[in-house]
Amino acid sequence: MDFQRYNQAEQAQIAQMIEHKQMKDFLRLYSNLVQRCFNDCVNDFTTKSVTSKEEACVNKCADKFLKHSERVGARFGELSQQMTPPGSPQ
Amino acid sequence: MSMFGGGFQAQQSVNPQNIAMAEQELDMVTDLFNRIVDSCYTKCISTEYQQNDLSQGESVCIDRCVAKFFDVNAKVGEKMQQMGGGQPPQ
Repeated sequence: MDFQRYNQAEQAQIAQMIEHKQMKDFLRLYSNLVQRCFNDCVNDFTTKSVTSKEEACVNKCADKFLKHSERVGARFGELSQQMTPPGSPQ
Repeated sequence: MSMFGGGFQAQQSVNPQNIAMAEQELDMVTDLFNRIVDSCYTKCISTEYQQNDLSQGESVCIDRCVAKFFDVNAKVGEKMQQMGGGQPPQ
Protein backbone atom coordinates (compact mmCIF):
# COMPACT_ATOMS: atom_id res chain seq x y z
CA MET A 1 0.00 0.00 0.00
CA ASP A 2 1.37 3.35 -1.01
CA PHE A 3 0.81 5.93 1.71
CA GLN A 4 2.19 8.82 -0.31
CA ARG A 5 -1.10 9.18 -2.12
CA TYR A 6 -2.88 10.31 1.04
CA ASN A 7 -2.57 13.51 3.03
CA GLN A 8 -1.75 13.48 6.71
CA ALA A 9 -5.32 13.57 7.95
CA GLU A 10 -6.21 10.67 5.70
CA GLN A 11 -3.13 8.75 6.74
CA ALA A 12 -4.11 9.13 10.37
CA GLN A 13 -7.58 7.80 9.69
CA ILE A 14 -6.20 4.94 7.62
CA ALA A 15 -3.72 4.05 10.36
CA GLN A 16 -6.59 3.86 12.81
CA MET A 17 -8.55 1.70 10.40
CA ILE A 18 -5.57 -0.65 10.02
CA GLU A 19 -5.28 -0.99 13.77
CA HIS A 20 -8.96 -1.82 14.07
CA LYS A 21 -8.75 -4.39 11.29
CA GLN A 22 -5.64 -5.98 12.78
CA MET A 23 -7.44 -6.50 16.06
CA LYS A 24 -10.42 -8.03 14.30
CA ASP A 25 -8.10 -10.26 12.30
CA PHE A 26 -6.29 -11.39 15.42
CA LEU A 27 -9.58 -12.50 16.98
CA ARG A 28 -10.48 -14.29 13.77
CA LEU A 29 -7.11 -16.04 13.78
CA TYR A 30 -7.67 -17.15 17.35
CA SER A 31 -11.08 -18.67 16.78
CA ASN A 32 -9.95 -20.29 13.54
CA LEU A 33 -6.96 -21.84 15.25
CA VAL A 34 -9.06 -23.22 18.10
CA GLN A 35 -11.42 -24.83 15.64
CA ARG A 36 -8.62 -26.23 13.51
CA CYS A 37 -6.73 -27.76 16.41
CA PHE A 38 -9.90 -29.13 17.94
CA ASN A 39 -10.93 -30.77 14.68
CA ASP A 40 -7.49 -32.24 14.09
CA CYS A 41 -6.57 -33.32 17.58
CA VAL A 42 -9.58 -34.04 19.73
CA ASN A 43 -11.25 -37.30 18.81
CA ASP A 44 -11.50 -39.20 22.08
CA PHE A 45 -14.91 -38.73 23.64
CA THR A 46 -14.70 -41.57 26.14
CA THR A 47 -13.77 -38.90 28.66
CA LYS A 48 -14.78 -35.32 29.41
CA SER A 49 -11.28 -34.04 30.12
CA VAL A 50 -8.66 -33.47 27.46
CA THR A 51 -6.20 -36.35 27.40
CA SER A 52 -2.47 -35.67 27.60
CA LYS A 53 -2.06 -36.95 24.08
CA GLU A 54 -4.68 -34.50 22.84
CA GLU A 55 -3.08 -31.69 24.79
CA ALA A 56 0.32 -32.40 23.29
CA CYS A 57 -1.30 -32.50 19.85
CA VAL A 58 -3.03 -29.17 20.40
CA ASN A 59 0.27 -27.64 21.48
CA LYS A 60 2.00 -28.80 18.34
CA CYS A 61 -0.96 -27.80 16.20
CA ALA A 62 -1.01 -24.25 17.52
CA ASP A 63 2.78 -23.93 17.29
CA LYS A 64 2.86 -25.22 13.76
CA PHE A 65 0.05 -23.06 12.53
CA LEU A 66 1.50 -19.90 14.00
CA LYS A 67 4.94 -20.65 12.59
CA HIS A 68 3.34 -21.43 9.26
CA SER A 69 1.42 -18.17 9.31
CA GLU A 70 4.61 -16.30 10.15
CA ARG A 71 6.49 -17.86 7.27
CA VAL A 72 3.68 -17.18 4.82
CA GLY A 73 3.67 -13.59 6.03
CA ALA A 74 7.38 -13.25 5.35
CA ARG A 75 7.13 -14.66 1.82
CA PHE A 76 3.97 -12.67 1.19
CA GLY A 77 5.72 -9.45 2.11
CA GLU A 78 8.67 -10.20 -0.14
CA LEU A 79 6.53 -11.13 -3.13
CA SER A 80 4.15 -8.20 -2.68
CA GLN A 81 7.06 -5.81 -2.72
CA GLN A 82 8.40 -7.34 -5.90
CA MET A 83 5.08 -7.10 -7.64
CA THR A 84 3.48 -3.79 -6.72
CA PRO A 85 5.95 -0.99 -7.46
CA PRO A 86 7.11 -1.72 -11.01
CA GLY A 87 8.89 1.58 -11.59
CA SER A 88 10.04 2.54 -8.12
CA PRO A 89 13.77 2.72 -7.38
CA GLN A 90 15.15 -0.20 -5.39
CA MET B 1 10.46 25.84 6.46
CA SER B 2 7.51 23.85 5.38
CA MET B 3 7.95 20.30 4.24
CA PHE B 4 4.40 20.04 3.02
CA GLY B 5 3.29 21.35 -0.34
CA GLY B 6 0.44 23.41 1.06
CA GLY B 7 2.37 25.89 3.18
CA PHE B 8 0.18 26.35 6.26
CA GLN B 9 -0.54 23.29 8.36
CA ALA B 10 -4.24 24.13 8.11
CA GLN B 11 -7.00 21.70 8.89
CA GLN B 12 -6.65 19.06 6.18
CA SER B 13 -9.77 17.59 4.78
CA VAL B 14 -10.30 13.89 4.56
CA ASN B 15 -11.60 12.69 1.26
CA PRO B 16 -13.96 9.82 2.11
CA GLN B 17 -13.43 8.33 -1.32
CA ASN B 18 -9.72 7.95 -0.62
CA ILE B 19 -10.49 6.28 2.68
CA ALA B 20 -12.92 3.90 0.98
CA MET B 21 -10.32 3.09 -1.65
CA ALA B 22 -7.67 2.42 0.97
CA GLU B 23 -10.07 0.23 2.91
CA GLN B 24 -10.93 -1.76 -0.17
CA GLU B 25 -7.28 -2.32 -1.01
CA LEU B 26 -6.55 -3.31 2.57
CA ASP B 27 -9.44 -5.78 2.61
CA MET B 28 -8.27 -7.30 -0.65
CA VAL B 29 -4.73 -7.80 0.60
CA THR B 30 -5.89 -9.20 3.93
CA ASP B 31 -8.27 -11.58 2.20
CA LEU B 32 -5.53 -12.75 -0.16
CA PHE B 33 -3.20 -13.35 2.75
CA ASN B 34 -5.75 -15.36 4.71
CA ARG B 35 -6.56 -17.50 1.71
CA ILE B 36 -2.88 -18.24 1.13
CA VAL B 37 -2.43 -19.20 4.78
CA ASP B 38 -5.38 -21.58 4.65
CA SER B 39 -4.62 -23.13 1.27
CA CYS B 40 -0.92 -23.62 1.87
CA TYR B 41 -1.58 -25.09 5.31
CA THR B 42 -3.86 -27.69 3.79
CA LYS B 43 -1.39 -28.47 1.04
CA CYS B 44 1.86 -28.48 2.96
CA ILE B 45 1.34 -29.35 6.61
CA SER B 46 0.31 -32.83 7.61
CA THR B 47 -2.12 -33.09 10.48
CA GLU B 48 -0.08 -35.74 12.23
CA TYR B 49 1.66 -33.08 14.30
CA GLN B 50 4.82 -35.00 15.06
CA GLN B 51 6.74 -31.94 16.22
CA ASN B 52 6.34 -28.31 17.19
CA ASP B 53 8.54 -26.86 14.46
CA LEU B 54 8.09 -26.80 10.73
CA SER B 55 10.20 -29.47 9.07
CA GLN B 56 12.56 -28.53 6.26
CA GLY B 57 10.21 -30.07 3.73
CA GLU B 58 7.24 -28.16 5.07
CA SER B 59 9.18 -24.89 5.03
CA VAL B 60 10.23 -25.33 1.43
CA CYS B 61 6.69 -26.34 0.51
CA ILE B 62 5.32 -23.17 2.07
CA ASP B 63 7.77 -20.97 0.16
CA ARG B 64 6.85 -22.56 -3.12
CA CYS B 65 3.16 -22.59 -2.30
CA VAL B 66 3.07 -18.85 -1.65
CA ALA B 67 4.99 -18.10 -4.86
CA LYS B 68 2.67 -20.31 -6.90
CA PHE B 69 -0.41 -18.81 -5.35
CA PHE B 70 0.72 -15.36 -6.40
CA ASP B 71 1.37 -16.65 -9.91
CA VAL B 72 -2.04 -18.22 -10.16
CA ASN B 73 -3.57 -15.06 -8.76
CA ALA B 74 -1.93 -13.02 -11.50
CA LYS B 75 -2.85 -15.47 -14.26
CA VAL B 76 -6.48 -15.61 -13.23
CA GLY B 77 -6.52 -11.81 -13.04
CA GLU B 78 -5.24 -11.59 -16.59
CA LYS B 79 -7.82 -14.09 -17.76
CA MET B 80 -10.64 -12.17 -16.13
CA GLN B 81 -9.42 -8.95 -17.71
CA GLN B 82 -9.45 -10.63 -21.11
CA MET B 83 -12.97 -11.89 -20.59
CA GLY B 84 -14.10 -8.61 -19.07
CA GLY B 85 -12.87 -6.83 -22.20
CA GLY B 86 -15.71 -8.42 -24.17
CA GLN B 87 -18.35 -6.79 -22.00
CA PRO B 88 -19.72 -3.26 -22.52
CA PRO B 89 -18.34 -0.66 -20.05
CA GLN B 90 -20.65 0.09 -17.06
